[in-house]
Amino acid sequence: MEQLKQYNLAQQLEADLGDPRDRTQRMSFAQTAAIDESEVFPDAEIAWLYDYGLQDYYVPTSSGGQFTSFEEFVAFVRVLSRRDLNIAIAFTTMFWSFLTWMAGTESQKQTLSQRMRQEHLTMCLAYSEKEHGSDLVGGSVTATKVDGGYRLNGEKWPINRATISGLTYVLARTDPDGGNRGLSLFMVDKSQLDPSTYYNLPKIKTHGIRAADMSGIGFSDCFVPDSMLLGPEGHGLELALEGFQITRALCAAFSQGAADTCLRTTLNFAVNRQVYGKTVVDMPHARRTLTHAFLDILTCDCVNIAAARGFHVVPEQFSVWSAVDKYFVPVTLEQMMSDVSVVLGARFYMRDEHDSGVFQKMLRDSSIISVFDGSSVVNLHALILQRRQLAKARKRLKPEKMTAIYQRLARSFSLESPLPEFAPQKLELFSRGADDIPQGLPLLIEDLETMHGDGAPAVLTDVIELTKIILAQLDAQDEVIAQSAFEHGHEQSYESFELAKQYCRLHAAAACIYMWRYNRQHLGEFFNQGEWLVLCVHRLLSHFDVPLNPIPLEFYENVFQELLRLDREDKMFSIVPFQLARSTSTPPDTENHATASKLQLI
Amino acid sequence: MAIQQWLVAQLAEVLSIDPSTIEAQQPLTRYGLDSIDAVTLVGDLEDWLDLELPSTLLWDYPTVEKAASYLVEEFDVSV
Repeated sequence: MEQLKQYNLAQQLEADLGDPRDRTQRMSFAQTAAIDESEVFPDAEIAWLYDYGLQDYYVPTSSGGQFTSFEEFVAFVRVLSRRDLNIAIAFTTMFWSFLTWMAGTESQKQTLSQRMRQEHLTMCLAYSEKEHGSDLVGGSVTATKVDGGYRLNGEKWPINRATISGLTYVLARTDPDGGNRGLSLFMVDKSQLDPSTYYNLPKIKTHGIRAADMSGIGFSDCFVPDSMLLGPEGHGLELALEGFQITRALCAAFSQGAADTCLRTTLNFAVNRQVYGKTVVDMPHARRTLTHAFLDILTCDCVNIAAARGFHVVPEQFSVWSAVDKYFVPVTLEQMMSDVSVVLGARFYMRDEHDSGVFQKMLRDSSIISVFDGSSVVNLHALILQRRQLAKARKRLKPEKMTAIYQRLARSFSLESPLPEFAPQKLELFSRGADDIPQGLPLLIEDLETMHGDGAPAVLTDVIELTKIILAQLDAQDEVIAQSAFEHGHEQSYESFELAKQYCRLHAAAACIYMWRYNRQHLGEFFNQGEWLVLCVHRLLSHFDVPLNPIPLEFYENVFQELLRLDREDKMFSIVPFQLARSTSTPPDTENHATASKLQLI
Repeated sequence: MAIQQWLVAQLAEVLSIDPSTIEAQQPLTRYGLDSIDAVTLVGDLEDWLDLELPSTLLWDYPTVEKAASYLVEEFDVSV
């Protein structure tokens, strides 16, 4: 398998950071556990990442940085996240700069780029307010027009990095009677403010990411010049919602990093742990649980890597793709971590045992991911509102449109296909009924059927059958949606939310199949064989009332053997299993039975 | 104007209220239509009129009257 160049940065960062189980390494589990216990912001680690130059990868090349693709971006965020979510999230608040890359003037972009890259400027997003939560339009922070600028008043809370950041994106009401057009977005550079006119709110004590700068910011008649307005006055809500489309999909990478570590540390425990005269990993329940966890990671990989690439190909569909990704990946991986905790037993709850208690820390730290940047409910709600349009559009698709959909899918999914530059101005508040992933299914089935013949993968018949089931389920759901009462606002029924979750599962199942279809030749033999694919899709379809063919038990065993191999070779648990930092031979803080060499395994 | 009547009828269905209670000069938010609902409703407008419209049309023209005259002036819509 040739290395895909978009994974080089992640792989290099891995090598440079070293094995996180080795307590002498920077951002090791031991060190980040100590940071967590101290609840003190990790200044030194963040500074190291700046010295490394990673901030350049948050700035598009067109603005002087090195960002070229979200696929590369999510890969290196996983590398950070598998070590410590506190550091990963604190550093990655820089992804809010995409608001400026999207809507800023050339001068705003140049200034921001230069300050991020050379002065290590970072930013926070000040949208939420204590009394209004995710109701952005209901916010009470105001920006009143005055000569040469605006006066800000009010408080934003809870805001990650509100205190330790130089720039604050503030959503404020510029027109009390302007409704949805009465909000504007400001990129407030604190260094240019009169310090007596703004203040920070105290650090909030949290369940996870305890060392985060979770605080708030308040303004009292704070003058901000016109040059800090981002986009036209009155366009704040639009920019905010489009900006979320970007960051929501990127949030999934945090969950993926956490999931990798939770599975890896549990696997290491299970292969060395002896009870009842047996190794835990040889017990069927533990083995299957670990296998399922690996499958969940692979499924989420297909969804999130496709989304990362899709940004470049179909940005106008991201009101849908991003909502699916942000709901599906964090929630699936939260459940996976919870399932796996059973194998680790009581140690999952301990703050210093086994890899410095990293499991419980990841569990705590990651539990905020499905809440921030739009909670699971917000994302499902966004889908519900578009669901009727999606159903109608799929029904009236014309053949000439189908061809274009299929060409776009090839670019979104084929990891070897070059990506066009991301065009954030193409983001749209709604997708006009377009979602290539379900819409391309009829052509995918035709395409898979042409693969029959010499050298066809053994799983092909199963895969075609499963694809047909996905399509049939989607048709059935569309029928229900078409016949259901029209629901708007925040009165959606519980059942609508359940249907939206099912839509996400079908979207995910289809994503797995496209990923296999477009990358069979270059992601290695395990990937090509597709047993993982049958299992992943099966697992998703088990949430539906549909009979499925039984799966040969050896599929599970083969997938489990791949999991062991990736762990033994220190590779990412991923459809693109790039090289991680090599394990140091004797993790110093583990118990005796856990230090036995992994080489015993195979 | 037919398009005004259509908008009223559509809103009444969406919001489960009596069409006679919708006034063309009142902002749509008064009838419980939030920001994303307003975007979604543009999708329905597009279907009905077979036009591609700005997704923020109902933010910019937030009453039945304003939206209707915008559609007539910018898109020459007649029904």
